[in-house]
Amino acid sequence: MEILRTAPNPWGQEVLVGVAWDLLWAAAIAGFLFVVGHHLYVWIMAPKAPKTAPEPAPEVPERVERHSQASRTFHWLMAATMLTLLVTAFFPVIGVQFAWVTIHWIAGIVLTLLIIWHIIHASTKQDFWSVWTGTKEIGQAFQAVGKFLRREPAKEERSGKYPLDQRAYHNAVTLVSFGVIVTGILMMFGVDTWFWASNPYFLSDSTWGLVFVLHGLCGVGLVTMVIAHIYFAIRPEKRWMTRSMIKGWITREEYLEHYDPDLWKLGTEPAGAELAGGSASSADADGVVPA
Amino acid sequence: MALIGQDISPPDLRAKVTGRAKYAEDFRAEGMVFAKLLLSPMPHARVRSVDASRALAMPGVLGILRASEVNQPEAPGEAALTDEPKYVGEPILALAAVDETTAADAIEAIDIDLEPLPFAIDPLDSLRPGGPDARLDGNVMRFGDSGRELVSLKWPQTEFDAAEAEGRLPMGEPTDEWDHGDLDAAFAEADYVLEDTIVHQSLTHHPMEPRSSMAYWEDGRCYLYGSTQSTQRAHQAMASQLDLEPGELVFVGQYCGGGFGSKIAGVPIYQVTALLARKIQRPVMMRINRYEENYIGRARPGFQAWTKMGFRRDGKITGIDLYIIQDHGPYGRSGDYNTAGAVTDLMYQPDAMRFRGLTLYTNTPPRSAQRAPGGAQIVAMLEPLVDKAARELGIDRVEIRKINAPTHDSEFGPGRATTTSAFVREAIEAGAEQFDWAGKQALSGQRNGTKVTGVGVGLSPYVGGSSGFDGLLLIRPDGKLYIHQGIGNLGTHSMADTARAAADELGLEWDDCAVIWGDSSQHHPYSSVQAGSQTIHAHTRANYAAALDMKRKLQEVAAAALGGSASAYRVEGARVTGPGGSLSFAQAAERAIAMGGEYSGQELPEDINDYTRASATQLAGQGLMGVARDNFSHEGSTWSWVVGFAVVELDTETGDVRIVDYTGSADCGIVVHPRSLAAQIHGGSVQGFGQARSQKWVFDPKWGVPFAHRLYTARPPGILDVPLSMDWAAAGEPDPQTPIGAKGIGEPPVGAGSAAVTSAIADALDGRCLCRVPLTTDVILAELEGRAQPHALTEIHS
Amino acid sequence: MAVIRDMMPAFELFQPTSVDEALDVLERHDNTWVLAGGLDSMDWFKDRIKRPDVVVELGSVSELTGIRASGDGIEIGAMTSLRDVVASDDVRSRFGLLAQAAAEVATPQIRNQGTLGGNLIQDTRCWYYRGGWPCYRAGGNICYAGTPRSMNREHAVTGQSRCVAVNGADTAGALVALGAQMMVRSAGGERVYEAEDFFVGPEIDIERMTVLEPGDLLTHVRIPGDWADARFYWEKVRDRKSWDWALASVAAAIVESNGTIERARIAVNGVAPTPVRLTDVENLVQGMPANDDTGMAAGELATRGFKPLRHNDYKVPLARNLVRRAVRGDAA
Repeated sequence: MEILRTAPNPWGQEVLVGVAWDLLWAAAIAGFLFVVGHHLYVWIMAPKAPKTAPEPAPEVPERVERHSQASRTFHWLMAATMLTLLVTAFFPVIGVQFAWVTIHWIAGIVLTLLIIWHIIHASTKQDFWSVWTGTKEIGQAFQAVGKFLRREPAKEERSGKYPLDQRAYHNAVTLVSFGVIVTGILMMFGVDTWFWASNPYFLSDSTWGLVFVLHGLCGVGLVTMVIAHIYFAIRPEKRWMTRSMIKGWITREEYLEHYDPDLWKLGTEPAGAELAGGSASSADADGVVPA
Repeated sequence: MALIGQDISPPDLRAKVTGRAKYAEDFRAEGMVFAKLLLSPMPHARVRSVDASRALAMPGVLGILRASEVNQPEAPGEAALTDEPKYVGEPILALAAVDETTAADAIEAIDIDLEPLPFAIDPLDSLRPGGPDARLDGNVMRFGDSGRELVSLKWPQTEFDAAEAEGRLPMGEPTDEWDHGDLDAAFAEADYVLEDTIVHQSLTHHPMEPRSSMAYWEDGRCYLYGSTQSTQRAHQAMASQLDLEPGELVFVGQYCGGGFGSKIAGVPIYQVTALLARKIQRPVMMRINRYEENYIGRARPGFQAWTKMGFRRDGKITGIDLYIIQDHGPYGRSGDYNTAGAVTDLMYQPDAMRFRGLTLYTNTPPRSAQRAPGGAQIVAMLEPLVDKAARELGIDRVEIRKINAPTHDSEFGPGRATTTSAFVREAIEAGAEQFDWAGKQALSGQRNGTKVTGVGVGLSPYVGGSSGFDGLLLIRPDGKLYIHQGIGNLGTHSMADTARAAADELGLEWDDCAVIWGDSSQHHPYSSVQAGSQTIHAHTRANYAAALDMKRKLQEVAAAALGGSASAYRVEGARVTGPGGSLSFAQAAERAIAMGGEYSGQELPEDINDYTRASATQLAGQGLMGVARDNFSHEGSTWSWVVGFAVVELDTETGDVRIVDYTGSADCGIVVHPRSLAAQIHGGSVQGFGQARSQKWVFDPKWGVPFAHRLYTARPPGILDVPLSMDWAAAGEPDPQTPIGAKGIGEPPVGAGSAAVTSAIADALDGRCLCRVPLTTDVILAELEGRAQPHALTEIHS
Repeated sequence: MAVIRDMMPAFELFQPTSVDEALDVLERHDNTWVLAGGLDSMDWFKDRIKRPDVVVELGSVSELTGIRASGDGIEIGAMTSLRDVVASDDVRSRFGLLAQAAAEVATPQIRNQGTLGGNLIQDTRCWYYRGGWPCYRAGGNICYAGTPRSMNREHAVTGQSRCVAVNGADTAGALVALGAQMMVRSAGGERVYEAEDFFVGPEIDIERMTVLEPGDLLTHVRIPGDWADARFYWEKVRDRKSWDWALASVAAAIVESNGTIERARIAVNGVAPTPVRLTDVENLVQGMPANDDTGMAAGELATRGFKPLRHNDYKVPLARNLVRRAVRGDAA
């Protein structure tokens, strides 16, 4: 399989041009295999932990707000722009031809603005670090992997507001999105926009090649991530999370079952956003990695 | 004169029209293989490494030739192959294989690592402070106290700023400067002064036949088949380039599919076939394709120029100030810009003139002379300005040219040279009459729908002859006169036409003459290069000189055989007849062989060139030999003139231009061959039409890569760009400084065609001069529509 | 790998005698190339930039040549030579616009060899692209012709989308103006496209000029009788009068009655990556007198929103004036 494409530049020097679109298929297949594999694993092999009823906690309200209106709006707008970007980027590659460039860069700008808003919102109105992995989470990750390898019952550890898998996914998506956005903004100088006429000599040809490669790699990476994300969003045991991203709340039982009240202390977040999910990008919709 | 002045069929005609004529790539040799070139993809680079192992391992690949194996001349000379290519398309190495397909595949299999170096495409970029130099040793050549030197010349930013503010060409320190008269006084005296910046493009020669060649070695001798304008000189030059004695090289170049100055003598790339053939011990053919020809086939230098011209109310030009920056390419030193200065001074005869200029090395294909080098550019640039003045002063445009034209004793140029003759007014008058200038003038500005008619006139002088070469004739016992011609055969017929001087002097019919040409093993005399329109002048003289020598010998042979005094014998009707009776030329030849000595070439004149001596020695004893150096007087420089008259129709809505009528009229001394003269005037003028209208170079400035490297992108004119009606005339006055009276005519038609068209276009635009060549549709339409010009003021490769 | 140009590499040549056979060959091989007259193809091959393994030459497919009646119009085989198109009485008498356009393609030699289909689907002449530069159209990520310093005198003034190349097919504009249809066959069957939909701009597919994909064959061009005998206007402006592509061209079919334009169909080419049908102009001139005022208004409308590059501003007035002349009804 070809991964990168090179071509001789006007002086006959081989320069990077972009990723080979074989990678798109690889990404899609990887996403598909993950979905199938995970499904089979959960269905056939995963040890079932006995479900223990949580202790009653009448101080917890009937419905716990997990995602504020603002966070949900952000999430779904971002989802729409992300899907638009992926469709406009990859449908032409697989042979569905349409005028995609303008839609693509406009969607890219919308996504960029949404993320800027999100960063501001998360750092002013939310616990910015609640969705990031730290040393503690890395320790948890090792423990989880250890348990998986020992095939110990995967009793779900109750977590803080964002469990480890969501945090990891958020981080990955943050990184990759950052990659597509930065490279995408640079690529805007290669097209005519409302703001400027294209100037392809803004960067050297080899730098352009790198930019296109990074953009392409991040783009196909997102394909895999989005497949996985949607898969978990529709898995039965995660639907409560998906519902929370639509309606905003989880039930008291769900709260007590999945969260450690010591780690997600209700009513301690900054006013107005105490229960907001607001996690970056699409991470907060649901769990990701099999526990 | 029986033959001179008549239309005759040149001896190569039948072979050409039947396809039997062999051009360089038609030759074959036992075991012949093919070579291909690896060309530089970069405008300036250094070869860091070449790995040809994969290529050499391919079946059928026989070897490569690197720069280190060819003659590397001293800077700024050009080698056939180089490890420091200085323009895109410069040959780096050559590879031989059993066929071209294999050779091309093998070239692709060569791994070459090039280090890009700074490059300059526009001369002005190179002159800016900190600007790139096209060569590692500088951007100009200057003649200092210690001789010639290559230096990096930069002009101060202030000059560029001032030029930009004033909307003119930047003009810093030149390398060449001359003047005469009091320029300030001349401008002060002028009633009308104009000042303009003018740009002229570079143009590839693009002869139909590219510079293909074939070579093999036999018994230590190299046999080289190539296309050349000048056989004898090519033989000498190639021997020198290959470090061989002339006797070690046989050079064959019988037919030449055009040269236009690009194949004057030695062609560096021919070394490659010869050296590869020696290296791999196989005959090697290298067919140069159009793409390669575009790069290595030479080009006319472009000019970025500025002029100021002063006119008196009566049309007399008082002063000219001319500045030319020449775009040179990376090698050698073309003198076009200097010639342009001299041409300007000659043709306008200003009371005072200053010329300043310099030629900049650029990373563009090498330049060489192209049909009226320097002259064709400058007349196309200046003639519309003279029109502008004529219009301003209310003087007829033909009249203003006559007013300023030189006379026989006019002086010009830095050395205040004189000409042998100047029948300029006569040529103008003959042309104006033929063209019906008075009648056609009435068409000027006439509108027909969206089309407006423009009428133009362009005057174009160029050097028309040299002297001092040798003639070599032999009457063999078959009674025929063998005229050995070292000049080439590039379609101008001069190989045949100059032979007529000998035939006429010896009173022979054309059928009794055989012209020997195009093969150094056939023994040529030392000859002029067939360039600069020298041959008709130089070799009618040389052949005439040899004919006089032969005539004397015929008389003496007859007198010796038949008795009586030699001077009593007459040479006529292929016989020498006198008081003792008559000898046929066949008999005379046999007698001469018997007599030996000078009669059969055993003894040769002292003053002939060593090359002629060697040839004559080879022919000695085979007949009655006439051999002599042209020692006729030749005072002043010989210049020919063509004045072109054109009618164009310019569409005011599209900028499209159609040339509908054209007449060229020459002062070329006496007319040797009317049909050939017409071909020269028309052919050259058509080349000029392309120069004026469509043909040019285009380079991407960022990468230094050219685009006009195919015929269709270079856009030389096609048959539909030529008017249906083309006429010609000639003053027909013999030049007094040459016994035959003929001057060369190859060069000036180009400038005449180009200038007449630029002048006619300006006329169609109500006298607005666009100061750019070529005047393409976009340039004209932008002017008509009052929109920004598509090319910046000094942009030269756009 | 060193670069060498103007020397054709080897390929496998197929010369089928039927469309089915041709499609079969295309189906069975990868990296194929369909060769009609070869005038565009050979340039690519000789420069070793497009390097097919398999070339399918259609010269022996007799069903692809010839001009015949079809409904109220005609149908022209894609392999019909341009010379035959020009010489056809059917074309000349009723669809003279096409004959005029075809007659100005290149040179007599090229028209003898070149085909209508080949002319239509010819690749762009952008010299950056044809020079083998790794531009968008060649699968790269830069348009070298669109930079502020590029040499783009011949390039697009409208319809640019990253790529600024122009369509160079003289017959394309004429066929758009005649409302022609392009019949395309592939192993999957036949598809029919309106002429103007047959050409694809870079906003949709930056690597192709037409809808044709590998395995597709343009088989016929059908010209309906809708515009037969209309007043036609064709004009091509170029630097040289032969062997030159249009700087801009206009093709118009106009039906007039008593000096009033009843309906019109107008296309310009050489200004965009595809021939541009001027639907707005057609609507504008409907019911208007065929005169210079209408022409000027039409030309202004046609060129509204044109975005010239560094060296091609002249194409704006050029296209405007060509449309103006077409509408005005100059003698072509």
